[in-house]
Amino acid sequence: MSNLVETVSKTNQSKNIITYGVILLVFIVALVLSTQSEGPSKFPKVVTDEFKFTAWVNEGEDYLKKNYRWITKIIASYIKEGYYFLEDFFLEAPWLLVAALFFLPCLISGGLKLGLYSLFVVYFWGATGMWDESLQTVALMGLSVLLCVLFGTTLGILCSQSDRFDNFMKPVLDTMQVMPAFVYLFPALFFFGIGGAPAILATMIYAMPPIIRLTNTGIRQVSKETVESATSFGSSRLQLLFKIKLPMSLPSIMMGINQVIMMALALVVLACFIGAEGIGGQVWLAIRNLDVGWAMEGGLCILFMAIMFDRFSMSFSKQVDPLPSDVQKFYLLPQNWEKYQIARIIEKPLSFGSSIIDFVCIKITNLIAYVSELLISLFSKNNAIEIGEFISKRYYVIPSLIVLFLISFINSSIYEIGTFPSDWKLSIRQPIADAVKALTVHPGFIGFTKGLRAFVYLNLLHPLDVFLTHIPWWFTMAIFVAIGYFTVGLRFAFITALLLLFIGACGIWSQSMITLSSVLVSVFLCFALGVPLGIIASYNERFRNIQNVVLDAMQTLPYFCYLIPVLMFFGGGIVSAVLATVIYSIPPIIRLTSLGLTQVSGSYSEVSRSFGGTLLQTLNKVKFPLAIPSLVIGFNQTVIMAFAMQIVTPLIGGKGLGLEVFNGLARSDTGRGLAAGIGIVLLAIIIDRISLAWTKKQRIALGLEKN
Amino acid sequence: MKLSKTLSALILSFILILGSFGTANAKRLTAAVADWTGGEITCQVAVSMLEEELGYKVKRVVFPSGTGLWEAIAAGEIDFACESWPSYAEADTVMMKGPLIYDGKTMFNYEGDGSVKLLGTSGIIGLSDYFIPRYAAESLGIKSWKDLNKHKDKFATIESGKRGRLIACPVAGWNCHDQKRLDLLGIDFQADELGTEAAAIAEAVAAYERKEPFLLYLWEPHWFFGAYDMVGVGLPDHKTCDSFTEANNWKDCGTAAWPATGWAKDYTFNYGNPETFAKAEHAKAAEFFTKMKFDNADQAVMLVEVKQKNRDLKEVVKEWKDANPDKWRSWIPN
Repeated sequence: MSNLVETVSKTNQSKNIITYGVILLVFIVALVLSTQSEGPSKFPKVVTDEFKFTAWVNEGEDYLKKNYRWITKIIASYIKEGYYFLEDFFLEAPWLLVAALFFLPCLISGGLKLGLYSLFVVYFWGATGMWDESLQTVALMGLSVLLCVLFGTTLGILCSQSDRFDNFMKPVLDTMQVMPAFVYLFPALFFFGIGGAPAILATMIYAMPPIIRLTNTGIRQVSKETVESATSFGSSRLQLLFKIKLPMSLPSIMMGINQVIMMALALVVLACFIGAEGIGGQVWLAIRNLDVGWAMEGGLCILFMAIMFDRFSMSFSKQVDPLPSDVQKFYLLPQNWEKYQIARIIEKPLSFGSSIIDFVCIKITNLIAYVSELLISLFSKNNAIEIGEFISKRYYVIPSLIVLFLISFINSSIYEIGTFPSDWKLSIRQPIADAVKALTVHPGFIGFTKGLRAFVYLNLLHPLDVFLTHIPWWFTMAIFVAIGYFTVGLRFAFITALLLLFIGACGIWSQSMITLSSVLVSVFLCFALGVPLGIIASYNERFRNIQNVVLDAMQTLPYFCYLIPVLMFFGGGIVSAVLATVIYSIPPIIRLTSLGLTQVSGSYSEVSRSFGGTLLQTLNKVKFPLAIPSLVIGFNQTVIMAFAMQIVTPLIGGKGLGLEVFNGLARSDTGRGLAAGIGIVLLAIIIDRISLAWTKKQRIALGLEKN
Repeated sequence: MKLSKTLSALILSFILILGSFGTANAKRLTAAVADWTGGEITCQVAVSMLEEELGYKVKRVVFPSGTGLWEAIAAGEIDFACESWPSYAEADTVMMKGPLIYDGKTMFNYEGDGSVKLLGTSGIIGLSDYFIPRYAAESLGIKSWKDLNKHKDKFATIESGKRGRLIACPVAGWNCHDQKRLDLLGIDFQADELGTEAAAIAEAVAAYERKEPFLLYLWEPHWFFGAYDMVGVGLPDHKTCDSFTEANNWKDCGTAAWPATGWAKDYTFNYGNPETFAKAEHAKAAEFFTKMKFDNADQAVMLVEVKQKNRDLKEVVKEWKDANPDKWRSWIPN
């Protein structure tokens, strides 16, 4: 027995040595090749000259523009009408009405806490002078969410009914999610015009996948027993779908809507690049002016808005546990603070007030229900009772409507309320700008930022850039294909070769290598910073809680807000681009490290400790190996996010494919932009697939998953 | 059920509001906000005239300048844009038709297809060049661009290695062709495109404060010259090169002509969609644009207010408008 173990470990060892040897050899050859080459490696000119992808795309676009522009113009004009209607309404409505429109639904669905929070958010928009812009963003987002939900649930239902359609949609949805929004943002511009319409359509492409997926899985997950009993009662397929399956999958659909809202918000902000109005444009202007305070205000407006919509849409899918009747319900403070005297004193008047409001609301609603029942019963008895019941059940909605009506009535006939009062303005712009300025002239701080910038550039970015761009393209390609072959399989290796050939033939090989090196350096830095943070979090619960709040906030912020802090301390340039990428894509690695380490069941580490392993040993020898799958998932997500970030980093001096996309936009050269955009997607797909396959292998090796 | 509640609430409140609103329809125009501060000011001057004197409601759209903007204007998505600099625009010769008139003199005659209309000169005359700080010019004895190579190591940064660095034209869509110019003139410098005017200026300010030598692409009027003492390197005089277009695969004319030369003097103009400004209802706006004549000195003063004193651009323009009615009265059609 022991002999067997020995030989197994021996063959394992020799296998390991061979693998490392091969890797080392490949690396040395690459190093030699790259130092010998004169300039950056280029694809053979014959291929790039013959493969005119850019020209083909542009010709195709011209053809479509000439022949189908009228269709897109009609679609765009409808959407534009809808958007202008909403926008005009928001901008010209009295501010009290707008505030009430946010406050009342939040109050009804999320309770006093959310209601008060929504008031704060609305105040913040007005106070920072971004009232109009915020409402434009809300209008754009609202319309796109509405359309997404409409089309998304329909497609989701179709997917759930037909396996063939589902199989067809899967790769489509995958592409929709990985494709950087920029790539279709500006073709949309030339078909649908500038501003609201293309922004909304692009948002639909970007934000629809989750709701399609969640509707589909929601319907498919309805248990077999329920379906069987319904069919045995003789319900038809349509009845089964609309009366049983759809209502039962509502929580899942609601979760989809929540995700759609968050994604739509992120893209609507980005859509300022194609002339959509809103806070995005303000942040962009602020970045262009290097005005950190202004950019920060814009970023906070977006962040607060995102949290509000997130909580609002979450409150629909969450069930509140009813409290025992003898416990006083807390409206504002956490329920578990009940033991404190002060909390009870604060809550007392609140609960008193809320019962008065409840009472009034119910009475008024009942009165209205009674009156309308009486009125309608003059025409038909049956309907009257139904309508009366319908109204009397809505004892929050009806009074809210009355409040809204009162406000608009007062505004139009008694006293004009107008737009947000300018006396209430409060700006954090100047203090922030001053603070940043004070910090940026501080010699110690300058030393730190300059040192970091030089270190990252000289030791990481520059060598890797030169290395990757100077290795002959066929060698890099061979390495990728080999890795693909060993981790995933022959078919994937073949696909990898094709995808890389496409990138090369488009003539963007060296740009894509620059992008690759920026991403690799960013991911490396993410690991260097994120893993230690994750380890600390896995040992210290308080630290973990604080960190989770911060990470939540980071993940709700649209991604070009990350340019702001970097710009503020590091200025523009390729290193700043890398640092912004690190800030954006670090959350998953922190989260999954701490998750992976805490999930390693206690028994393993206890066993190890009882055998006398120190803390470090346990971590190193037991916990880490077991947490590897989780770490690789974190790696995978970080890589994808880092690739996505490459699209906006050119704003602060990033280079590579992202810059190509930007230049394509400025020159109205769709083909060039599209080729670069596809290049980013392809690189992301290759690395994603390889790391996923690797995780699977690790999990199988650890016995966590069956082959 | 709850969803239907909110939906019905939303729909109902909309109906309510519809009833209480009789929105007066103002004349609408869409303007592109320029991506450099001078252009933003000129645009705000034009927009404030349209809004306050001619009763327009102007939608301001943030859109990067470049050929994309020209196409958007030709397609009617944007009605007008301000202060285009002829030597930066690539599409002007292709898309505009008619004479560029400044002070009654025809400066250039465009022979394009007329898909974009030249609305009139803005009054701003621009000049671009490469600049170095005076302290560097004096201590290193640099008199023209020809002396730059001798001192390239002084201009180097970690990113440019042994070569010097040019803080280049920040936006690719401006078509400065900086690297091409450097290569043609044999200046061993690397052009660093920083993405925005602000980023380039921030780099320049930091270098100036540290009293390091640096080479900067910049244009006049710009507030930077008011705050810092800069000298031009005197690039060769401008000469056009007909083959240097995208259609000809950027075939250059050697060292004799563009882009191996400096920029021409730019008589900047405002431009718009021909159909929009042919409409009778916009006749007054079109007339305003032919009459508008803003000038460099006024813009320079406002640039200092906005960029150095960090004031709100709209406020600064409003102040100027209130204080100088005699300057703009004549632009407004009766």
